[in-house]
Amino acid sequence: MRNSLHKWILGVAGVIILAIFPRLAGIYYTNVFLGFATFALYAVTLNLQLGYMGVLSFGHAMFFGTGAYATALALTHIQGFPLLPAVLVGGLAGGLLALILSPLLVRVSGTAFAMLTLAFGQLIFVLALKFREVTGGEDGIGGFRVPPLNIPGMVSIDMTNQINFYYFAVAVIVVCLFILWFYTKTPFGTLVVGIRDNAMRIDYLGFKLPQTRAVNLIVCGTFAGIAGAVHALLQKLVSTVGVLDIQTSFEPIMMAYIGGVGSFFGPIIGSGVLRLLEDLVIRFTERIGLVNGAIFILVVLYGPTGIVGLFHSAKAKWFHKEKVS
Amino acid sequence: MSPTAVLYVAQAFHGLAYGMLLFLVASGLTMIFGMMGILNIAHASFFMLAGYFCYTVMTLTGNFWLALLIAPVVAGIFGILTERFLLRTVHVQGHLAELLITVGIMMVILEGVKAGWGTESMIVKIPRSLDGLISIAGLTYPIYRLFIIGLSIVILGFMALILFKTRLGKIVRAAVSDADMVSALGINTPLVFMLVFGIGTWLAGVAGAVAGPLLTVFPGMADQMGLDAFVVVVVGGFGSLFGAFVVALFLGELNAYGIQFIPRLAPVLMFAFMAIVLSFKPMGLFGERE
Amino acid sequence: MNILETKGLYHDFSGLQVLFGVDLQVQEGERHAVIGPNGAGKTTLFNVITGTYQPSRGQVYFKGKEITGAKPHELTRLGMGRSFQITSTFNRLTTFQNIRLAILSKKAIRFQLFRKVDKMQDITRETDEVLKRINLDRERDLPAGMLSYGKHRSLEISLALATDPDLIMLDEPTAGMSRDETHHAVELIRRLTEGKTVVIIEHDMDVIFSLADRITVLHYGQILASGPPAEIKQNQAVKDAYLGELEV
Repeated sequence: MRNSLHKWILGVAGVIILAIFPRLAGIYYTNVFLGFATFALYAVTLNLQLGYMGVLSFGHAMFFGTGAYATALALTHIQGFPLLPAVLVGGLAGGLLALILSPLLVRVSGTAFAMLTLAFGQLIFVLALKFREVTGGEDGIGGFRVPPLNIPGMVSIDMTNQINFYYFAVAVIVVCLFILWFYTKTPFGTLVVGIRDNAMRIDYLGFKLPQTRAVNLIVCGTFAGIAGAVHALLQKLVSTVGVLDIQTSFEPIMMAYIGGVGSFFGPIIGSGVLRLLEDLVIRFTERIGLVNGAIFILVVLYGPTGIVGLFHSAKAKWFHKEKVS
Repeated sequence: MSPTAVLYVAQAFHGLAYGMLLFLVASGLTMIFGMMGILNIAHASFFMLAGYFCYTVMTLTGNFWLALLIAPVVAGIFGILTERFLLRTVHVQGHLAELLITVGIMMVILEGVKAGWGTESMIVKIPRSLDGLISIAGLTYPIYRLFIIGLSIVILGFMALILFKTRLGKIVRAAVSDADMVSALGINTPLVFMLVFGIGTWLAGVAGAVAGPLLTVFPGMADQMGLDAFVVVVVGGFGSLFGAFVVALFLGELNAYGIQFIPRLAPVLMFAFMAIVLSFKPMGLFGERE
Repeated sequence: MNILETKGLYHDFSGLQVLFGVDLQVQEGERHAVIGPNGAGKTTLFNVITGTYQPSRGQVYFKGKEITGAKPHELTRLGMGRSFQITSTFNRLTTFQNIRLAILSKKAIRFQLFRKVDKMQDITRETDEVLKRINLDRERDLPAGMLSYGKHRSLEISLALATDPDLIMLDEPTAGMSRDETHHAVELIRRLTEGKTVVIIEHDMDVIFSLADRITVLHYGQILASGPPAEIKQNQAVKDAYLGELEV
């Protein structure tokens, strides 16, 4: 009961903070926050593969990037392409890619899966670089305007206003996160975690392993694509470096680990920590990658349960002390 | 010989040179995987590290041969330190953690070289003794490439000798095949692990030091080689030296001819091939270990 | 009727022949033990029957239909359950969550994406009932990996049983158990498999003679003898193979 009340209070507080954030923080930090939020969603989708199903994807950027490119292309080539469909088309592209790759990806796990996703991720990166006519190569696609949010018959909200865009983007991300959170609570979500613990037994219990893996992959791909779409709208520029490169595939892995792979909110916390860290470190050195890498190594070595894990251990110790005294 | 034939033969040698370098890198990678079950994502980073050290030693001493001697050893030492302090600690957490730590190491080395040497490409000059062209059977060919091929053959021959003709080599081969069994026989497996990891990274270092003049030394040096090495290990079979050899040479030639004739599709073909092999034979074409 | 039947089953591993033409017959409702020295091919036989391997030659029939080479999940849906010699549970999930997975499969809830599983009261109720029946209700919220060995084995067996199969294949269910734990396990098996068919691989002769209606002796991949316990005890060939081990 108390737990439930706590969660409600946290939730309401969260909503209030989100609502007044732009007024408090100013435009620059609002955009930084959106960057964090976008990658938080992206990292959560990676964690649904890593923490929940137990497979390490080294090419997750392919879903993120494909979504980003899809959105950019739609807005560039189709006059008057509306806002919400622009976001959804990113999700569709990510999901479709996952669907196409799933017959190959679901047959393997472990190191082979990591290698396969690395291969596909690099493949798509190279393809995007080479087919300049479509993707603009290294220069990418830019200069598209974020369309207004049109609610038919009612109002048209201008999205070039950063504050408006903030509310829209945050709404999209929060809705997506909620859907994914609910997804982990369904019977299917339990099944996915079962695969992590013992894929063979899941097979023997009567579940279809490849199909289950495929559905999880498609869910992850779709929502990573949506994250990519929001990213594209935020940056207003999509190029291979930043959405399809290896670094973009590694970031969510780092975020998940720092925050805690075993929990749903871990990657979100990880994304926040990483952003704050980068903002801090960049004042001293350009080599944020070095600091990130070093922290990542330390986390894997000494704190693999991440921040959430540390929190749980601390909580357990604290309650134990309470009981004892 | 007709000009096209000349072109074909020249490309064949290019491919051979690159293929040899690739095998130097991939052989260490596949042995490490076969023995320890770790796919060292940072393996090509040691290749790159040696390239940078080679540049530095050359700049300091002007002596290429000294650089060629020292740089790989430094890479090997880094490798040993990595195994001893990072990989061994994380071993208890399982393969996933080991894989991830090598990712972290890769990132640290990448950013480290940028911090230490900057992001510009470094030119390493070919020593005068190896510079220039040589004429064989009517073909002119860069001496340095032949040197690469020659050196690789010598080193690999030496390695083969140790692996197949010495007791240590037998232990290593056994450990690559079944580390638990070797441990049960009373052999100090942690020491063997460290040794093999060190030698594997040393080999990658040799390739890196030698490749410097060829590829120029820059932070992206590890990318192409790294991916190619993975393809070789994956397709050739985890733990299979023979498979690595065959695929490395094949890939070297494929790259050489591919880049020449179908530049757009070459990398695509390679990844597609790797993806197909992985999907149907997760242990690689010649691999035995899971 | 024979609920399970194999005809001329051969299996080899890259040239190493393990099964040499096994004709096993299991009647519906009986408790059938498969015994034999180590390396006789008992687990391989299990693996071939339950779909882990495809036999190099021969057929397997389940409920009269040929199922040779069918995949494990297909067989489970047809009504076959299997437990493993090496405990194979979902160690990071709680005991409750372990059994619940089996219940979900039993109820064919495999792609349900629209309800919170914790709120599905009928599932929760049924899972708790199973836990009570197998005496693991107190360990309900304990991660399976933290169960004591005996209880862990119980969970292992129960996972096979929870999908409510008609034929249960148990691979050395009492492996590594103490005297007491074995007693409890046998009692559990007997209770939970009322009216079902059980095929059990075992080394513990006490267990076999207290549970089995019929025994099949496997030796070097071939059936040496098959029949009721009393018959097998007297069988000279079996005595020779086991060097008198059947003296209880």
